[in-house]
Amino acid sequence: MRRPPACLAGLAMALLLGNGPLAAQDADLDALRLADAAPDEVHAPSDWRRFVELGLGGSQPRGGGDTRSNRRLSLDIQYDHALNRDWRVLVANRLDLSQPALRGSEEAINTLKEAYLSGRLQPDTLIDLGRINVRNGVALGYNPTDYFRAGAVRAAVSVSPASLKENRQGSVMLRGQHLWEGGSLSMLLSPGLARQPEPEGLNPDLGATNRQHRGLLTLSQKVAGFTPQLLVYQEEGRPTQFGFNLTGLVTDATVAYVESSAGRSPAQLSQAAPAFSPCRCSDWQNHLSAGLTHTTADKLSLTAEYHHNGGGLDEADWRRLRQGPLPLYGLYRQWAGSTQEMPTRRALFLYGVWQDALLPRLDLSAMHHVDLIDWSRRSWLEARYHVDRLEYAAQWLQHRGAPLSVFGALPETRSWQLSLRYFF
Amino acid sequence: MKIRLRLLPPLLALATLALPAGAAPSPQEILIASDAVRNPDFPFGLTNSLIEYRQGKQTDSSTLAIYSKADPNGGQFRSLVRYTAPARDANKLILFNGKDLWFYDPASKASIRLSPQQRLLGQASNGDVVTVNLARDYQATSAVEEDTQDGDRQTRRSHRLSLSASTPDATYARIDMWVDAASARPLKARFYSESGKLLKTAYYRRYQTVFGIQRPTETVIIDGLEPDWVTVMRYSDWVKREVPETWLQRDYLPRFKPE
Repeated sequence: MRRPPACLAGLAMALLLGNGPLAAQDADLDALRLADAAPDEVHAPSDWRRFVELGLGGSQPRGGGDTRSNRRLSLDIQYDHALNRDWRVLVANRLDLSQPALRGSEEAINTLKEAYLSGRLQPDTLIDLGRINVRNGVALGYNPTDYFRAGAVRAAVSVSPASLKENRQGSVMLRGQHLWEGGSLSMLLSPGLARQPEPEGLNPDLGATNRQHRGLLTLSQKVAGFTPQLLVYQEEGRPTQFGFNLTGLVTDATVAYVESSAGRSPAQLSQAAPAFSPCRCSDWQNHLSAGLTHTTADKLSLTAEYHHNGGGLDEADWRRLRQGPLPLYGLYRQWAGSTQEMPTRRALFLYGVWQDALLPRLDLSAMHHVDLIDWSRRSWLEARYHVDRLEYAAQWLQHRGAPLSVFGALPETRSWQLSLRYFF
Repeated sequence: MKIRLRLLPPLLALATLALPAGAAPSPQEILIASDAVRNPDFPFGLTNSLIEYRQGKQTDSSTLAIYSKADPNGGQFRSLVRYTAPARDANKLILFNGKDLWFYDPASKASIRLSPQQRLLGQASNGDVVTVNLARDYQATSAVEEDTQDGDRQTRRSHRLSLSASTPDATYARIDMWVDAASARPLKARFYSESGKLLKTAYYRRYQTVFGIQRPTETVIIDGLEPDWVTVMRYSDWVKREVPETWLQRDYLPRFKPE
């Protein structure tokens, strides 16, 4: 039997290996030819970010019954314009038209998220005046130091943490900030302008986020490679709260973070229903969110977060409330929903995002939220695909748990939503 | 006079390469000279346009405004990156300050700490997008003189440098880099993982006069595992500008508005 010529054996080997130097060279040449023909696409910066979104969905009501459908049209704008070298004006607004209404009987809900003037008094000293969406906190699912979150969400179109943070209104305030190398100090004063929220959909609703006089002092300073953030928050008629945020790198792929707020505070139940729970006493309470985010080489980021709310109800109190008068339970849940506070003491929050999953431009997200007091659960999945100016999204949500548990009391057991977003 | 001062570092770097045969530049000196060709030695801004291709078809594009400044302690660049396009990402920011990486979304007002592993721009790694002084993070252990094809498919006499990571900030375990023997221009580079797997190949092309010397204004990145996944990065609108230290921290991100 004759042996094959050496060159044939070499060729066969090259074909088998496939990615030898020759193949690599060919791939390089193909890539360079592609680059030769690449267009010169340079986009000019814009002061605007605008989109319209059409949503269609359905939900399965708790206790059975027919699936309820819903539809929504949203217009979202963001405008950031420099008036001159030192002054700029920022406006962000969102209008949601929904059927059935997202809240009460209001089918049209407008959220004036921000409208303020920002100026530079000195190179490193800045001042802002107007409605500002101040958001503190490094955690994803529960932010104890996000002191301006109460009453901020007018129309909850999704339970996704990003949506809840994005679609909310700010508070009217005067804010000053001084920056230096590796640190900054900011102080803000937010006056009480209206004592009650305004339910009308197109109302700027000062009463929702400017109900009391409030102030916040925030200090950041780089120390030994870390930049902790310290916060001191004061609200009219309430004890001072002290906040803390810290992040650190565990490995090149893992970020750890902790967010905490502590101070004396009345029990949540007495805040929610003073008439039912007249005790004005306040105890020291700790609120904490601590987590890790790990990212794989395939652009999959996984987050696990532990939530502790020292003001939330423990097993015994939560059981007692659920077995007690329904109006008191309802008031408590309404208060917790509006202040975005945890009803109970402990929860576990898992979140994953996979960028360019399975195919380019497809992002898959998943969230699993478990209440560690009554073990009710919320699961949420999202697939989001974008091409040019369009974004397609499909979301699915499920709530499981015993009656009147944290997630088991929500009016829908399952829901889904399809949406199409167009940026213009 | 200003122009002369600006040209001094690259000229010194080139002078190092032009030493007589008896005093041949070390591999590390060649790498330093090559860095000086790619990177201005003063704070600057530029526009980076990325186009991504898969299987010969354009699949994505973005435009970024980048502001960079070298760290006085260590010399590595810190950068502030602002998305100009696509529209859905407009005005989002990324701060690169060594391993201190932050992403800021003006829509949610959220500042999120990132790990170096988190890639936000398709195939291009963070180190590809922003300016990096390789000589700060890698040690060139050898320089082999050989002919190679550059990004314009021309044969060039070059030094093939073998770089190995020398600081924890290095993104890659090993890099092979071809540097033009006469001009110290970087021609191409191959980036490897710790296990020796080819992660990507980069070609430095479209040399144009920027700040007085010829610099590459395009990088073509070819994925090591999927060679038909190609990213073309083009740099334009270079401008020498002040990048204050106060910009390079998380708390400044909500404030950033380029002039």
